[in-house]
Amino acid sequence: MILRAILPRLLAALMMVVLVSVLVFVMLRQLPMDPVGMSLPPGATEADRLALTREFGLDRPVAEQYLRWGAGLLRGEFGVSVNLRRAVGPLIASVVPATAELVAAGLLLGTVFGIGGGLVLFAVRRTPWEGVGDVLTSILVSVPEFVWAIGGILLFGVWAHALPFIGRVDPQNVVAARTGFMLLDTLLAGRPAAFADALAHLALPATALGITLAPLVTRILRSSLLGVIVEDFVQMARLRGLTERQVLTRHALRNAALPTLSLIGVQAGFMFGGTLLVEVIFGWPGLGNLMVTAVRSGDIPVIQAAALVYCLGVLLINLVVDLAYLRLNPRLRLR
Amino acid sequence: MSLLSLRDVTVTARLGGIDVELLRRVSFELAAGGVLGLVGESGAGKSMVGRLIAGLLPDGFRVSAGRVMFDGADLLGQPAAAVRRLLGRRIAFIPQEPSAALDPVRTIGWQFGQHLARLGVARGMRPARAAAALAEVGLRDPAGVLGRYAHQLSGGECQRVLIALAFCSAPALVVADEPTTALDVTTQATIVALLRRMQAAHGTAVLFITHDLRLAHDVCDDVMVLYAGDPVERGPADRLFTAPAHPYTRALLAANPRLTGPRTMLRALPDTMPGPLAFAAAPGCRFASRCEIADPACAASPPVWRLVAEGHDVGCAPACQAGLRRVAAAAMPAPANAGVPVLRVAGLGKVYPGGWGRPATVALEPVSLEVAPGEIVGIVGESGSGKSTLARLLVGLETPSSGTVTLDGTDVTAANRANDARRRAALQMVFQNPQSALNPRHTVNQLVTQAMEVARAPMAARHARAAELLRAIGLSPELGGRYPFQLSGGQRQRVNIARALCATPRILLADEIVSGLDVSVQAQLLNLLLRLRDEMGVAILVISHDLSVVRYLCDRVLVLHRGRMVESGAAAEMFARPRSDYTRALLAACPPDPLPVAEGMPT
Repeated sequence: MILRAILPRLLAALMMVVLVSVLVFVMLRQLPMDPVGMSLPPGATEADRLALTREFGLDRPVAEQYLRWGAGLLRGEFGVSVNLRRAVGPLIASVVPATAELVAAGLLLGTVFGIGGGLVLFAVRRTPWEGVGDVLTSILVSVPEFVWAIGGILLFGVWAHALPFIGRVDPQNVVAARTGFMLLDTLLAGRPAAFADALAHLALPATALGITLAPLVTRILRSSLLGVIVEDFVQMARLRGLTERQVLTRHALRNAALPTLSLIGVQAGFMFGGTLLVEVIFGWPGLGNLMVTAVRSGDIPVIQAAALVYCLGVLLINLVVDLAYLRLNPRLRLR
Repeated sequence: MSLLSLRDVTVTARLGGIDVELLRRVSFELAAGGVLGLVGESGAGKSMVGRLIAGLLPDGFRVSAGRVMFDGADLLGQPAAAVRRLLGRRIAFIPQEPSAALDPVRTIGWQFGQHLARLGVARGMRPARAAAALAEVGLRDPAGVLGRYAHQLSGGECQRVLIALAFCSAPALVVADEPTTALDVTTQATIVALLRRMQAAHGTAVLFITHDLRLAHDVCDDVMVLYAGDPVERGPADRLFTAPAHPYTRALLAANPRLTGPRTMLRALPDTMPGPLAFAAAPGCRFASRCEIADPACAASPPVWRLVAEGHDVGCAPACQAGLRRVAAAAMPAPANAGVPVLRVAGLGKVYPGGWGRPATVALEPVSLEVAPGEIVGIVGESGSGKSTLARLLVGLETPSSGTVTLDGTDVTAANRANDARRRAALQMVFQNPQSALNPRHTVNQLVTQAMEVARAPMAARHARAAELLRAIGLSPELGGRYPFQLSGGQRQRVNIARALCATPRILLADEIVSGLDVSVQAQLLNLLLRLRDEMGVAILVISHDLSVVRYLCDRVLVLHRGRMVESGAAAEMFARPRSDYTRALLAACPPDPLPVAEGMPT
């Protein structure tokens, strides 16, 4: 059954990836960029330029370039960075865990605080505190994440000296990259101090990332709960003698989780895009910083690959959310 | 000693800045193992009695006077937790909407398990106990049902599950709030039978809340009638329905169409039951404004209870007892149905093609019928019978797989612009639920003249037409500026009918237009349809699951069952001598009429 649910979604995702790759590929080639020119040393000759152009295959028609690139992808080769002269595949692989860690932490923070906030707002419904909660969530929603990031740096980093705000870990705590996920690597290396340091480094960027998700989750969960709580089956549960708390935990929450879950799915996609700014602000060595550097230097192979990875990340999150939704909502399951 | 007794219970809520007594001095006794019916129209306070017993009144509602004794203890004096401990154990509830009363994301087995856990049944015993409980309520494959979700069961099956849940703690009292209202006729009959069987087998007392007089008469030992929060009459069911003493009880019975006996015009009460804010200011009898024998003293003095016969008493202002007016039943107007049929349907059918390995679904096997001008034809069937498909085919919302539709001699089967225009001119539909059929942001004037929108008629012309239409359906033209939410349910349905009449169609298609309405409002609307037929000569196709409504209105009847026409013919003939097994089953499923009420009988 799970397979029958996953298969069509995988096919759709595959088509999406192909579509995005074509789009990115063609668009990048319409830009007035000269990656070869930018990567050549100042004294290079016209012959050098032609040689390098040929080396990267940039003298071929776009369709042929795409097919060659696509064939490379199937073999696991993402091409070579024009600027860094390194294979793009390992380059990307080395930064993806940093971004994934950031997104996971941001999602976790946003979801946990969002659900907590939703429950609190639900508990204080029809009291004056509800208005206070509304104002707070409005502020949280309307201030963009980079402002939170800068505010956090000023408050906790510069003034209070409580939290670090550059990079993933202090230099003395660098450990061997086994998985690329700093939290895991420090644990695997058996260094709790380094782990705590990595966690501290993660705090500000993850908060900046998750802080826009939390109020949305709060609001949707609160309104879903308000909708569910008047349903017949909730009243019926009360009439069977359940307490309000039991009604909430056994019946209302699971039903109210459905709309909340779809929202998280949509927002998680945006969050992936949001990492770009946050990474730049916090000097986070992830995909976003790599991408920004690549765009600055017109490093087309890197941009292509990074765009594709972003696309894959969003699709993966959507797939997971879809499956979780299916798991929670029996009405959508195949009979 | 009685199991449950309410003594002068008054429930007060603060609404719009004033205290309103939503229930006023309600008293009754329910003996162990007895069945007491609470009867009344929506808003009368029936369901509030159930919530009051459960200690689950809405926020801001409070019991301001009286006592509720259950099993020798006063429920009102106990802390909420103590009352809650009784729920699901000694007191159980059966709800109105079975499909909505089960958690949609939990299996039946999970919900049963939770309940049994609360009852202290050991984990290992729960599946067996649950399966046994489901078997007792007549569900086939109990083990299979335990693994399913509510949406995988029919409404009747869901109600069986809920009855099993209610009875598995062997409660002393079951409160059944409209337990069959949302179900089909035949399902309703089986559920009622089940409820009685369970009640008898377990010796449970049942508080049966319903708006259906026929059902109350059939099911209950004793009945109490509520009107606008006031109890007006109580007594043994047989007596109450054959020798009603209160003018309201009499009016309710007179407004209820019957399944047997001569067809006579229903006497509909004027207006509707007043809302809470309207009766808050009335110290006296709340029924006085609609009572045909009320005198000025009634509105000022509270009702006085007096005994009519053994166990039968009535709450009525003293002046009301002067005497009841004797009213002869008016004969039905004779149908003037003659001439060329306005609608001719030949071999009309609908098949939804299958695909992806699924077989095709036959929604409607070919049906033929003719409707003469001014004729009222009933289409009867339960859910899934194809009656809605037929309606959708007739108005052109679906394209038929076979057959033709001829309106006024013109074949309009093919879906094209010209035919759509012809259809709209000759045939109009009145939708079931005015709440959703009327755009909430349009005024009544705009709504009833929606047919003139296409022609871009000037607003002045539309207002003039709206005034005509509102008068025709018995509403004041002053209501034209209102929005649907400012109207009562009955008024909304009238507007819904007026809208269909705007383009002076030859035939109206009325899809379940009185289902969900109260008896007195229903009678008003049924009489309105008859009057429109007589005054405008419009033919009416009545789609209904309610046989008494069909018998009252229709000259001819068509019975559909699982997409197939099983019987058609003159209404009188069908009700007297049903030919198909299904029609016989349908008729048998209806609770019988109470014995005829002798009009104006002195009490």
